[in-house]
Amino acid sequence: MHLFGVLFQLAWRNLWRNHRRTIIMLGAIGVGVWAMIFMTALTRGMVDQMVTDSIGILPGHVQIHNPDYLDDPSISNRISYTDTELRQKFESAGFESWASRVRVPAIVTSERDSRGVTLLGVDPVAEKDISFFDYAEVEGRFLSDSGDKGIVIGGKLADKLETGLGKRIVIMSQDPDNDIADRGFRIVGLYSANTSAVEEAYAYIGKSTAQAMLGIGDTSTEVVFLGTEYRNVEPVYEAVAERVDERVSVQRWYEIDTYLGTMLGVMDGFVLVWVIVIFLALSFGLVNTLVMAVFERVREIGLMLALGMKPGSILGQIIIESMLLLTLGLATGNLLAWATIMPLRDGIDISIVGEGMEMWGASSMLYPKLYLGDMVLASVVVLLLGFLASLSPAWRASRYEPVEAITKA
Amino acid sequence: MTAVRCVDLCKTYCQGDQDIKALDHVSIEIAESGFVCLSAPSGGGKTTLLNAIGGLDIPDSGEVYVAGQRIDNLSKGALAELRLRQIGFVFQAYNLIPVLTARENVEFVMQVQGVAAADRHEKSTAILKEVGLEGLEDRRPAEMSGGQQQRVAVARAIASKPSLVLADEPTANLDSKTSDELMELFTHLNEHHKTTFVIATHDRRVMKYARRLIRMLDGRIVDDIDQRAA
Amino acid sequence: MSIVLRLAWRNLWRQPRRTWLTTGAMVFSNLLLVFMMSLQFGMYGLMIDNTLQVFTGHLQVQAPGYKDDQKMRQTVADVLPLADAIRAELGSDRVAARGWAFALASSEERSFGIGIYGVETVFEPQVSNIPGLVSDGRYLASNDAAEIVIGKVLARNLRVAVGDELTLLGSGVDGSFAAAVVNVVGIFDSGVKDIDRNIAEMPIATFQETFFLDGAGHQIAIVADNLDAVPEIQSRVRSVLPSDGDLLVLDWNELQPGLKQAIQADMGSNFFMYFVLVVLVAFSVLNTQLMSVLERTREFGIVMALGLKPGRLGRLVILETAMMGLMGTGLGIVAGGLLTLWFTGNGLSLPGMDEMAAQFNLPARMYPEVSALSLLAGPLVVFLFTMLAAVYPALRLRWQNPVEAMRAA
Repeated sequence: MHLFGVLFQLAWRNLWRNHRRTIIMLGAIGVGVWAMIFMTALTRGMVDQMVTDSIGILPGHVQIHNPDYLDDPSISNRISYTDTELRQKFESAGFESWASRVRVPAIVTSERDSRGVTLLGVDPVAEKDISFFDYAEVEGRFLSDSGDKGIVIGGKLADKLETGLGKRIVIMSQDPDNDIADRGFRIVGLYSANTSAVEEAYAYIGKSTAQAMLGIGDTSTEVVFLGTEYRNVEPVYEAVAERVDERVSVQRWYEIDTYLGTMLGVMDGFVLVWVIVIFLALSFGLVNTLVMAVFERVREIGLMLALGMKPGSILGQIIIESMLLLTLGLATGNLLAWATIMPLRDGIDISIVGEGMEMWGASSMLYPKLYLGDMVLASVVVLLLGFLASLSPAWRASRYEPVEAITKA
Repeated sequence: MTAVRCVDLCKTYCQGDQDIKALDHVSIEIAESGFVCLSAPSGGGKTTLLNAIGGLDIPDSGEVYVAGQRIDNLSKGALAELRLRQIGFVFQAYNLIPVLTARENVEFVMQVQGVAAADRHEKSTAILKEVGLEGLEDRRPAEMSGGQQQRVAVARAIASKPSLVLADEPTANLDSKTSDELMELFTHLNEHHKTTFVIATHDRRVMKYARRLIRMLDGRIVDDIDQRAA
Repeated sequence: MSIVLRLAWRNLWRQPRRTWLTTGAMVFSNLLLVFMMSLQFGMYGLMIDNTLQVFTGHLQVQAPGYKDDQKMRQTVADVLPLADAIRAELGSDRVAARGWAFALASSEERSFGIGIYGVETVFEPQVSNIPGLVSDGRYLASNDAAEIVIGKVLARNLRVAVGDELTLLGSGVDGSFAAAVVNVVGIFDSGVKDIDRNIAEMPIATFQETFFLDGAGHQIAIVADNLDAVPEIQSRVRSVLPSDGDLLVLDWNELQPGLKQAIQADMGSNFFMYFVLVVLVAFSVLNTQLMSVLERTREFGIVMALGLKPGRLGRLVILETAMMGLMGTGLGIVAGGLLTLWFTGNGLSLPGMDEMAAQFNLPARMYPEVSALSLLAGPLVVFLFTMLAAVYPALRLRWQNPVEAMRAA
């Protein structure tokens, strides 16, 4: 330990010996680390938003379906449990945020036009914890209960159908016997979502109303469960999987929305690649600085060796110097990132490319998300790779022959 | 008791396409608390001999003993340990670590040895006072004169109580007055601490301080004079 | 070689490791820039082509408002003669009229709401890649046949095969009940789920008859030879339109505003990354050149004392930097070009790209495209910043006083 003290002192003072070089390097590392974290925060923010939007519209970190439903989303492929059985299974087991739904493809027809939609029969009471209607704006009202006779559709869909609040529309779908099941509804609410594609896609009616219209008793097509965080759905998944048999399939959200699931994985990979690329760009400067530092100090390294310091200590000294430089740079970069991201917490308006972002599946407000984990990841990667990059110059320094080094002009 | 014994040392360097015999069958013995000058023109082999004794350089053949221990066959690590514990060095120039103050330079060896801070502080204070640098403890090398820097180097060399101090042209960069002061310091320390001093030099005024003068030429000892008699 | 050039060159190689490391930083960045830009531009080209060739084309003639609302009654009257006129004007076959309607398609077992295009069977293959993707059966035979081709997923969901009948139910242009029975003659597989699940095509005359369109359609799609030709074709098409009507000629950017914006959003984030890389190289160069000037202070002092003007020494430093910059640029372009060429031959595939690619109508394997722009743009910017980074070290020389400089250690 005493030795570390000496080495640390030497490294620290040597670092500030050529303060211009150190400050330039700190600037470079600072900018590099800032870029790593800033870019990562933007990426995370975008993906988080995409996922929250997507899960928010049709919440459910973990979902249960009939095994055939995902490939063939027909009313014939319903869940084999009735609502009563589901309640017995999950209500008593302490699941708080869960709901069953009826989801079928349907056609909505106004006086003027018709369109295909995904019809969702929901129980507003059960959905109250998990519904995106907590934050989506609804003009008029949302459904009041499972037996509500009204329908809520997106504003954009209403435009296309040339209909509006209080007007009647007809919903047509198919019952299990392949007969047309249809029914007229009064529009009681118009919702607005982040993207117009969503507003055109989903129409909401009461679950009991849907069950009655389709003649499916008290069965449903999906059961959804909400955990605490979309990145960590395993606990919920396991708890649900434990309570059902093979007549249904249990899936995590990213197994259902594979685009988003992949996006999440790709973004994680991107973050790591980005951090490494920046580091590599920095590493040339870092190694250069160390090589210069060693080169300038050949004589005193020789002296220390002559005085009986072990080569390992010389190696350690250079590495400590490099780690100090990196740590200071990391602190600068992290602070800089924090200072630039904080003012942007309330979102960056990128609606100028809004329809483009919609194509990526993202919304036109970008909320940078600064995760401690990302800061730690960047720091650890930088220190680890920095350590590896310092090995070569440090090794060279420790291999000097004391006599030759001292007499080096 | 002999502090240093060399038996039949040989060392050849290649310089360009010429082989230079830096040590040509050299054998000497240096008694404990001796004060010896090695003198030779440059290229005469004195630095090579000094380095061989200090374990900085391994001779091609022959044996080197320091305080009775054979060192020419030791590993690099063991040699480093030997230099750290038993030998003090004073070089011609670049003696000090530029980023450390006078006191820290003196304490450096002790610190690497693992001496406790309080102990170090006490010793360095005493020694810096002894070499006449009281009040300059916190200066860095760049803020001191050449003579002062060499004094710090001497203080460092003896601080950890080595049995042997090797000095290679310690006065080469000093004016004559400062040289004399440094040599008087060496003499004082030799008498006071009973430390063995081996000083390589080609400065006549330095030689006159030595009790024993060994002259070398082309890697051979040509003269070995006991100066106390004179 | 002049003496100044030779001097600069030799100075550069006084510290070969440092020069190589700094050059290495440039080469690394240039390599990345060249490769990334080639990949990016290749990808954008594909994104545009692949998206537009499905249905959109480069230009469309439409009624005002149709783009946003897609209402049945927003028609182009006498669409077939108009398409003929446009073909004659342009001397091109890559012009096809279409109608679009929403209908409920029912097989014996199932019903789904789908979008149906009424197409000119001869010309549709010239503007869209869907006819070429019929993997089972054949494409539509003639404009008045009672036939339909549907997507692969839709066929599976409806449980129909080639030769089966489908019943179509929808509303005509006047809101009246529209129905037809058609034969499935072909099944296409585009690889894009949304298209394969929701889209069908039938002959335009049959289509007009079914939906009471009376010779009208909804769009005329036009494909140009390349994007640059679009504005000219747009004005020529305008000249053919009936002067009394209010028909619009929309270009691809108006039809798919998301496409250009998705590219812009992607470019924005990429340019941020490129910029960071360039700045890091600049830091590296600044560090190296400043060190090289500082360690030669004494030498420069002597030369200045001999009467050389500081300005000339400054130019020497700039010249050294330029030489290093040219090496970095040259090697970077070569290395980047070779890497890109290798991938141009072999293609590049990353994990997760299938899903991402499908979202943007891209193939799962990407082939970067080497162009003068992608090859030179990045390296030139790097070179520019390299030279900028040398300004401070060079200026420092001007401020130097020869006596002080000589005294410096």
